[in-house]
Amino acid sequence: MSQKFAIVGRRLAQADTPIKATGAARYAADIKLPRMLVGKVLRSPYPHAKIKRIDKSKAENLPGVEAVITLEDTPKIPYASSFRDLPMAPSGSLQRSDEYILADKARYVGDAVAAVAAVDERVAEEALRLIEVEYEELPFAVHPRDAIKPGVPRIHDYAENNIAVRVGYPLAEGDVEKGFQESDVVVEETFSVTKQVSGHLETQTTIASVDPTGKVTCYSPCQLPFPLRRELAKAFNLPEGMINVVSPFVGGSFGARLSVYNEPIAIALAMKTHRPVKIEYTMEENFTCVHTRTADEYTVKMGFKKDGTLHSMYMKVLTWSGAYLGRAQLAGAITLVWGMGHYRCPNRAGECEIVYCNTTPSAAMRGYGNPEVMWGVEQVVDMAAEKLGMNPLELRLKNIRKTGEPSNFGLPIESSYLEDCIKSGAVRMGWKEKWGKKRAGRRGVGMATMTHCSGAYPLLMEHSGAIVKFNEDGSVNLTINPGSPGTHIWGALSQIAAEELGVYPEDVHVVTGETDKTLFDLGSHASRSTYVAGNAVLEASKEARKQLLERAAKMLDVSPEELEVGDRRVYVRSAPERGISVTEVVRSAMWDLKGECLNIAGKSSFASRWTSPPTAAYFAEVEVDTETGEVKVLKFITAVDCGTAINPMTVEGQCEGGIQQGIGYALTEDFVVNRETGVLESDNFTTYKMLGTLDMPETEIIIINKPDPKGPFGAKGVGEPATVGVAPAIANAIYDAVGVRITDLPITPEKVLRALKEKQSR
Amino acid sequence: MKMGDQMRRMEKETVNFTVNGRQYQLTIEPWLTLAEVLRDYLDLTGTKVSCGVGECGACTVLVDGKPTLSCCTLAITVRDKNILTIEGLAKDGLHPIQKAFVDCGAIQCGFCTPGMILMTKALLDENPHPTREEAKEFLAGNLCRCTGYVKIIDAVMAAAEAISEGGSR
Repeated sequence: MSQKFAIVGRRLAQADTPIKATGAARYAADIKLPRMLVGKVLRSPYPHAKIKRIDKSKAENLPGVEAVITLEDTPKIPYASSFRDLPMAPSGSLQRSDEYILADKARYVGDAVAAVAAVDERVAEEALRLIEVEYEELPFAVHPRDAIKPGVPRIHDYAENNIAVRVGYPLAEGDVEKGFQESDVVVEETFSVTKQVSGHLETQTTIASVDPTGKVTCYSPCQLPFPLRRELAKAFNLPEGMINVVSPFVGGSFGARLSVYNEPIAIALAMKTHRPVKIEYTMEENFTCVHTRTADEYTVKMGFKKDGTLHSMYMKVLTWSGAYLGRAQLAGAITLVWGMGHYRCPNRAGECEIVYCNTTPSAAMRGYGNPEVMWGVEQVVDMAAEKLGMNPLELRLKNIRKTGEPSNFGLPIESSYLEDCIKSGAVRMGWKEKWGKKRAGRRGVGMATMTHCSGAYPLLMEHSGAIVKFNEDGSVNLTINPGSPGTHIWGALSQIAAEELGVYPEDVHVVTGETDKTLFDLGSHASRSTYVAGNAVLEASKEARKQLLERAAKMLDVSPEELEVGDRRVYVRSAPERGISVTEVVRSAMWDLKGECLNIAGKSSFASRWTSPPTAAYFAEVEVDTETGEVKVLKFITAVDCGTAINPMTVEGQCEGGIQQGIGYALTEDFVVNRETGVLESDNFTTYKMLGTLDMPETEIIIINKPDPKGPFGAKGVGEPATVGVAPAIANAIYDAVGVRITDLPITPEKVLRALKEKQSR
Repeated sequence: MKMGDQMRRMEKETVNFTVNGRQYQLTIEPWLTLAEVLRDYLDLTGTKVSCGVGECGACTVLVDGKPTLSCCTLAITVRDKNILTIEGLAKDGLHPIQKAFVDCGAIQCGFCTPGMILMTKALLDENPHPTREEAKEFLAGNLCRCTGYVKIIDAVMAAAEAISEGGSR
């Protein structure tokens, strides 16, 4: 059923990787501008404190210091570090601007209080030590359960009991109470998930410079260059045309780069000193100040009929926002959308409270609420299967939503091959032979499934622009700007363009990285770039192809409808030997001596009105050491339905990395904040344990590779799905192995041992 | 302030070493790390600094062939040594290890890549035909957050094969 493609579907090496392999690729920290200063940020040592007085005179007098700034030196316009007004459809602005460039009050250990620009790093650090700040410490709460207690002072004045916002499930249906009464088996369980950090290796680094006309250039690793430009324009009251956001190579994103961090501080320092300023976070700052995945506590209640039909579902979620809203406002609400939109269910309702507390803000990380909530939902499904006496695989097959049914976002599902994922993954894992067998060696298998999105429509208006322009030699410049997240998105977009234009991938040269020179693109998030920017590239390529064929038709004396293009050649479909090279067509159009000159080019502004949901099934095989409580993942299989795989090698790469992050989330990664001091204790790679080479299990990626009707050449998103269902598959495998269920992440050996002991004593 | 004063009082020292086949004589502050000198003085920014304390391996360079964490090594301690950074590996086109990393899809964001490739060079110099397990063990100190290491180990194996089939080393 798959179309035959020339370029799409090939395992191509990425054009930007040779320079990464030779060390020539420049990341923000590698960029040096003339007269550039080093910026450093003074951070609060207290989790919650009034800032009574700041004396910066000693720091200012230190030789080599060019500027010291506090809130008073900035425009003092409230801003939102996760963007105040993304193009929300249809409800308009949702994000509250609840912070300043520098803090008016310290709200977590690490909050930015003042900043310096100096000739080098050591002088800058010394200057930080010379800034005198008088704090008045306030009572604080690092956990949302504590923050909502009476007597804890408000972290933000507007938020009573530190509840920032309450949201309901926007797609509620039926009557859940009645639904539970009508159910034969009801399972209710409470779960909690920790704040996972992105763990990208390149610390947050930004450079700002201001030219004599006042034009700001900001080198930033932000995944959303255009929303960043807009937020900076608002924060400094500048026209957007006076800011150019430049995206260098980025050392990992995973959602953490969806927020604004040191960009406005660098700009404020550059404005004050009239010199470029670079701010490079230390790894400690990166752990403490870069926004994390949301932490949540939540209850999942699911009611099933005897035959396994899901009949009613309810969720109540408490989302841990941190000191500022970050992106938690939306993440909390979407938790309900993911959680209750995966399975068909006539009665659904839910509510979510998003709570401030005195820690690092929460924002986005790979999956944006979906891994958090599937952790619980996919365990409750297994628990229900046990009560129903069903195989959990069969229970899932019975309830998954299919093509044409409403999606998690309430739109018709354009395509879902989740059934294929479940069945093919089960065969490869040997589910029939292994599951429920109480095998020797404390081994077990578990599974989980999920549905995600390809772009956030209808929550956001997903818009990408693209320009496809032929050069005189027949090569193509492809101008795009979906950010620079460190994935292989540029390569995927090049393959799409090359396929449509009938040229080779190496003929397509990507132009990107500056908001000044590219069309608007919302940026890389929500697994949307292959799908949305891909469709923009396809539309622009179609326009260029049309012009190409029209010109070639004149030259070959046929109608354009009779022509095809491939292998760099335009030819007559019915007589392929009659043809002309793309280069000849392009050049004769460019250099037409009769004066009918045309630069063959296409431009597109593509707005996605769909979100084809990628789906996936995950299978884990684990071994549990009942002496130590240690869990070892022996094998992990991800079967993914991401539509057509534009480049299977990069789809595998995404999924393999997703397994690594998912196992870390499940077993080893813990964001530990000291409840007595508010200090983050897991602020390095020793205390925050990410998987290394020896920690990875054997992996297998199954790509279903069936086209979606709306994606470019049938492609859907894949970046986030890679990680969503990893942790619950492991939890379910542990239950299969030793009969204990862990409900709070991460699954540490201590928790497993405790659960085993409790099980014995029962 | 005190610390700064002390630092300023420390005298600069002159060191000689070879980087990527080129000899250098530098007069530098004794507290500078090798990573700082390579990046800031020689503009060899292919050496990446991530954790800054030796936990992640991103800053790995080879000193007399031995993998060394340049972020934790004072530059004055590598006097008269031969240093290979990622910029020194490619001769006529990519080195077989670099080519294998590119072809196998072992590079995503690329920030761990220079360290990974130089570790692989050290491994294959010592053990030209490693098993996958041996490769994993050798690279265990180098973190990557993008790839899950699968394609990195694929690349190590492919590079070993390419080199043994007569590629340059």
